[in-house]
Parts: sequence; C-alpha cells; structure tokens
Amino acid sequence: MAKILDMPKLSPTMEEGVLTAWHKKEGDEVNVDDLLAEVETDKATMEFRAFDKGVLLKLLVADGAEVKLGQPVAILGNAGEDVSALLSQASQGGGAPAAPAAAPQPAAPTEKSLSVAQTSPPQAVRAPAVVRSAPLLEPAQAAAPAPRPRERGSLLDRTEREGAPRGATGNGNGPRAREGRVFASPYVRRAARERGIDLQGAQGSGPGGRVVAQDLDNLAKAAAPQPNSGNGHASEPVTTPSGAPVTAMGLALPEVRPLSMMRKTIARRLSESKKNVPHFYLTVDVDVDKLVLFREQINRELESAAKAKSRKGTEPEEKPLKVSVNDLLVKACAVALVRVPECNAQFTPEAILVHKRVDISVAVAVPEGLVTPVVRNADQKSVVAISSEVRELAGRARAKKLKAEEMLDGTFSISNLGMFGIDNFAAVINPPEGAILAVGQVRDEAVVREGQIVAGKKLAMTLSCDHRVVDGAVGAAFLAELRSLIEHPMRIVTG
Amino acid sequence: MPRTIRFREALREAMIEEMERDERVFLMGEEVGHYQGAYKVSEGMLEKFGEKRVIDTPIAEGGFTGIGIGAAMVGLRPIVEFMTWNFSAVAFDQILNNAAKLRQMSGGQFNCPIVFRGPNGSAKQVGSQHSHAMEHIYATVPGLKVIAPAYPADAKGLLKAAIRDDNPVLVMESETLYSVKGEVPDDLDVVPLGLANVVRLGKDVTLVAYSRMTHVAMEAAAQLEKEGVSVEVIDLRSLRPLDEDTLVNSVEKTHRCVMVHEGWPYGGVGAEVADRLQRLAFDSLDAPILRVTTLDVGMPYNAKLEQLCIPQPDRVVAAVKRVLYRGQAHNSEAVA
Repeated sequence: MAKILDMPKLSPTMEEGVLTAWHKKEGDEVNVDDLLAEVETDKATMEFRAFDKGVLLKLLVADGAEVKLGQPVAILGNAGEDVSALLSQASQGGGAPAAPAAAPQPAAPTEKSLSVAQTSPPQAVRAPAVVRSAPLLEPAQAAAPAPRPRERGSLLDRTEREGAPRGATGNGNGPRAREGRVFASPYVRRAARERGIDLQGAQGSGPGGRVVAQDLDNLAKAAAPQPNSGNGHASEPVTTPSGAPVTAMGLALPEVRPLSMMRKTIARRLSESKKNVPHFYLTVDVDVDKLVLFREQINRELESAAKAKSRKGTEPEEKPLKVSVNDLLVKACAVALVRVPECNAQFTPEAILVHKRVDISVAVAVPEGLVTPVVRNADQKSVVAISSEVRELAGRARAKKLKAEEMLDGTFSISNLGMFGIDNFAAVINPPEGAILAVGQVRDEAVVREGQIVAGKKLAMTLSCDHRVVDGAVGAAFLAELRSLIEHPMRIVTG
Repeated sequence: MPRTIRFREALREAMIEEMERDERVFLMGEEVGHYQGAYKVSEGMLEKFGEKRVIDTPIAEGGFTGIGIGAAMVGLRPIVEFMTWNFSAVAFDQILNNAAKLRQMSGGQFNCPIVFRGPNGSAKQVGSQHSHAMEHIYATVPGLKVIAPAYPADAKGLLKAAIRDDNPVLVMESETLYSVKGEVPDDLDVVPLGLANVVRLGKDVTLVAYSRMTHVAMEAAAQLEKEGVSVEVIDLRSLRPLDEDTLVNSVEKTHRCVMVHEGWPYGGVGAEVADRLQRLAFDSLDAPILRVTTLDVGMPYNAKLEQLCIPQPDRVVAAVKRVLYRGQAHNSEAVA
C-alpha cells in the first residue's frame, strides 16, 4: 500500500527545511534506514532516512526545494502501484499543517486528474428539518448591539457588496474607532512584511480605512525619510525578496542572494536578542604574557608526548594536539562562571534561572554565517579535552554535520575574532543565555611594569550582559575572576 | 485549417465523430430524431445513423435517464439529451442516486460512462421554471463531472472527451450560445476535462466565468480596458473537477477576483471558487472576492426584469471597480 512521506521533524526547532539533495531517485528500492535525502534545517544539514521499505514511486519536491514540516515530499509503495490518488492528496496539502499553496509546486496533478471512482466516499447528507434560516435572521440582526447601516432590500448585497471592517462608520472612509487594530488585506500584510513596512497606525484608502495594495507605496515613502534611531542598520532591504528593482533611477540593480536557512535563523535570533535583551558592555584589557608562555609550554609537552608515543612504534606518527589561547579562555571562563554563577544565568519572565551546569557555546564561523556548538560541562573537562572537542565540533560545523541538539542549551557564549585581527569588539547575546564574551587578538604593547616601559602582551575582552540578569557589579566580578585566572594561568588548570 | 462553425454544429460534429469512432455510442432524448433536435443540434443524425442509434423518447425524463444509465452499466456509451436541463429535475434521482454512485457502491464492478447534455441557464423569456442554472446543483455531487463550454472549439473537444470518459459527465450548453460562431481546428481531438482556459491576459483583476457568462466577462473586460483596467479572464470550462492551479496562479498575479455566473448566489460554483481562493491564495488577496450572479429571486417573465436579474457587463464592471477600490464604488450605499 503506497503512502506519502512527509517532511519529518529533524531538529527540535525545525519548522521548514531545504531538501538539498535526494539520495534516491524515482523507482529506487528503499530499505529501512536507507538515506533518502539531505535536508538543511535551521542550523545543520540532517539526514532524512527511511522508516519503511518499499519502492520510491514518486518524488514530490525537487532538489533545493524549501519544504514545510509535514509537507509531502515523496510517495513510497510497491513497484507499479497507482499513486494518482495519493498525488492529488499530496498536491492538496494532505494532512500537512500548512497547505503549500504558495510554495513552488512541481507539476503535480490536482483534482483534475482524479477519476471519479477515487473521490472520497460521500458524506452522510442530512436535510434540514425546517428551512427557515431567512426568517430567523431578521430578529437576530435586530438584536445585535450596533447593526451596521446597510442597504437592505438590494439583491446585490448578497455577492457584490462587501462589508466594511467592524468599527468602521457607515460612510466609507470616515474616521473610526480602531482600538489599535489595523485593517489590511492579506496581500498587503504579506507585502508589507516583505518590504519592511510597519502597518501600525497606518490609515488606508479602502473601506473603513482598510490598507490596500495601492497604499503601500505611500506608506513606504512616509517611512523612508525617518532614519533608524540608534546605529544605522546596514541590513535595510533595498529589494524585495522577489527582486523588485530599486526605485532610484539609473542605479545598477544589486545581486539578489536568497536567504539560506542559517541566514534566516541568524537574522531572526539576533534581531530578537537586540530588540528584547537590554545589553550593556564591560571591557577589560588583561596582561597575557604568562598565558602565552603557558600555552607554549603545554604545546611543547603535547608535542613530545606525541613523539614518544610514535617512537614506541605501535601507532603511526600523528599530528600533536595544539591548545589555542581560545581553548584556555573557554576553560578559564568555565572556572570563573563556577565562582560567579550569576553570570551563568538566564532570564525568564517568572524567575532567573541560575544554571548548575557550565555549557559554553563557542561561536564558529562557517561559509554561510556562524554556528554555536556547545562544550558541555566545560568546568569539569581538561584544557586538552576542551581543545580537541572544540576542534571536532568546529570541523563538523563547517561540514554542516552538527546535530541541532549540539547547538542548543548553552549557558554562556564565547566569540573570538582574534584570528581576524580584531583588537576588541562587542558581541550580541545568544538568547536565552545571559552573557557573551567577545575576545580580540593578543597584541604586543608597551606596558608599564615597576615604573619601566617594557614589551608586553595584552588581550582585550568585552562582556555583553543581559541587564535583566547580570548587573554591572556582577559582570565586573566575573571579569575580575577571569583576569586573575588569565594573569595566573596555572590556576586555570588547577581550578 | 480552422473552420468557423456554430456552437450547435461543433456539438453535432463531436457526437458524429464519436459515434463513427465507437459503435457503442448512441443518442437519445426528446425530439432528437425526427424533429432534428429541439435546437437542431442533432440535425441529420437520424438519417446518418438510423433509429437504433438516434432514439426519440417519450416525455419521461426519469424513464429515459434510467434507461441510459442501465445501458451504460452494461457496456454502451449513451448520450442523453435533455430538452433543457430544467427538465432534468424530473430525473434528478436517477442522476444523483444511480449515475453518480453506481461505480462506488458496486465497488468498481460497474462503470457509468454516460453523457447528459442540453441547454442550461436563462434563455429569453422562458419563464421562472425554465431558466434555472442547474450546474450548481450537479457540481456539488461527487461522482459527477460537470463541464460548461463557452466557445465552439471547447464545446466540440470537451464533448468528445466527455463521451470517452468512463464516468457520468454533464454538459451544460446554452440556448443563447447555440448560434455563436467560432473557429474550430480541423484536427481538433479532445479537450481534456478539468482544465480552465485563460481567454484574456491581464494584471489588475481576475474575472472568472464559464459558458455564456464568459462572453459577458469579455465584454466587461473590453469596457474596463478603455478605463485603464487590465482584466484577466478565466473561462473555467470544467466546473467539476475545478482547475485550482489556473485560478491560484492568476490571483497570485492580480490579487483580486470577481466571479461571474448565472444562477443564484447561495452556494454554487462561485462560492466554491471563492472558498478555494481564500484558502489557497489567502496572502495574495487585496480585496474580498465578489460574485456577480443571477439575483436571489425566481426568474421574472417580464423582459426588462429578466435582464435586470441576469448578470450584465455593467454589473461586472461595477464589481471589478469595487475590488480595485476605485472611486466610490466600494461604498455600500453607492450602487442601488
């Protein structure tokens, strides 16, 4: 018996995914757990595997298609089975929560290819006992609190008139009690969303002030001259996603790059963070001469250990593990968070959750954006263990092979742009975490030591704090702990 | 080479070609033989095929409809002509309870490959009891297919497809269309059931119609063009199954839709189209979908009142302006 395969939930937060590549084609035999396709979810590329065996009779979406959760993607059954009924069911949305009406559909047949014998069985038809809805209507309308003035008696009212939105006055475009609700057609709501136009408070030209499509250009013009308060958003859209040309004359059109799932997630989460989380920033500049020496010492030890191992002969020479400054900082942060748990906390409307685990999210740049795999229980792991774990996670992040749960539920984040030559910067908090540490590069600086100017090494770090959770003094206490650990690096490993 | 022929000739050609192609096909109905057809659709067919295949029936729709369904069950492919679809009310039980349901209720043991055809909707002063738009009633029934062509080429191609279909297909013609001329390609075979046709391209509003109302919609579209409104006209051709894709594609472009059909406003094909569009193209709509229908009364005999009840181009134009939010037209007091 053939059945429709729906897009499964491949991550806890997945709502849609891009089916990047089918690994089976129509007519292929499929066994349980065979890889059917790869799906790019909001963060990672996941494997979509078969739960049943059979023959893949029909692929309903092409490579690269954006697919909603539960939307039909394929039909599995026995060879030669007739799938026309399932096809039409699939094209009508099947049991999917969102009918893929607007989504680009393959040339799937609709009802028209359905032979009558395959239509759903007739439902029980009950004749109404007494047909008297019309007489009943009159008293019901009379009893309504404020019946709209309405031309009764015109037979055209049935189909060719539309009602003005509730709250509208009788005469078309007059003022009305709006109670904060903006009336706008569905198309206008979508178009406004896409063009970044805020409809709040907008007065439209339609019945009762409904905002209709022809009002959009005026609204866009009205909104345009007001500069964005605060820092200028570089992300202000110049084109609609459909690639509509910019209005200014003679300017070359920009290249339109569709948003990847990751880019959408970044945009959504970080906008939410900046909009909802009151950020403040604390910057320290710490001496890292000892940390740099300590790191070199550790790496020398690791190198000679690796050599000793390969000399014993059994194992081939492997590249010795190298601990980075960042690995040491992850461990240092973990230790500091144990001592100042208020920075290892999360805001909820009901209460502040102070975590008993120290799970540090490490921002990793990947070609399409960034991801934040989590090093769990970093306070309980050695620097070397952290180092190899971060390396392994980052490798899989770049290959888009991270599982969604490996990027969830961190308690604190570290973002390091030192390798890009950045001295200092402020990062956006990764919700629902309470703080993020932004780390710059190790700089050679002239420092004053015992009244003498000497060559030294400095590292600037900025802690972004959610002020609902972390106050200035608490953030400072955390940074003081961190500074003391970094300036006495042996304490990082001794705890 | 396309020839220009009348709508009734196109129907006749379809029947003749299918009867020559398949000897199981036969025609029966009131006055289809010796009288040459009440509307001369079957002119010459009795002489051509003889009394065995062109059968005059008594005035007993319930009887000859049942005979046709029985013949279809045992392997023939009848074409049953109703003098008008109004008279099919007498045979409604046969169509509803037998033709539509036999295949399902017999578990597929019986097919019912039958065509019912005849003029439908208003004509000119044929009175309250003879002006019904019956397609709305039949299109609600699962198990039936309902088509309503507007042009001779579609009439021929769709009727041929209907005759070859293994299910009951109801062909809604129009007394006022029988003499309409149109080009029909010489090599025209079947026009598949279930496909609408965009008969005029436009970008501001989608007008949906079928049968004679397609011509009313085209007239309104020409009038609106002079006022700078670009109207897309969709001729549904097939009412069940309904071509959702063509409807949705058009409304995604125009964002507005007006449905034009004969028949009363309560329920019906226009309400069905409106339902599909608000579900499948919700985010594309800039205005409520309006329907221009026959007014909600029994058809008056008085010629002026009759024309007032039937959708006319000026009512279509006014409805289009309303969905475009043009002028005062959306004010509910504006149009009496």
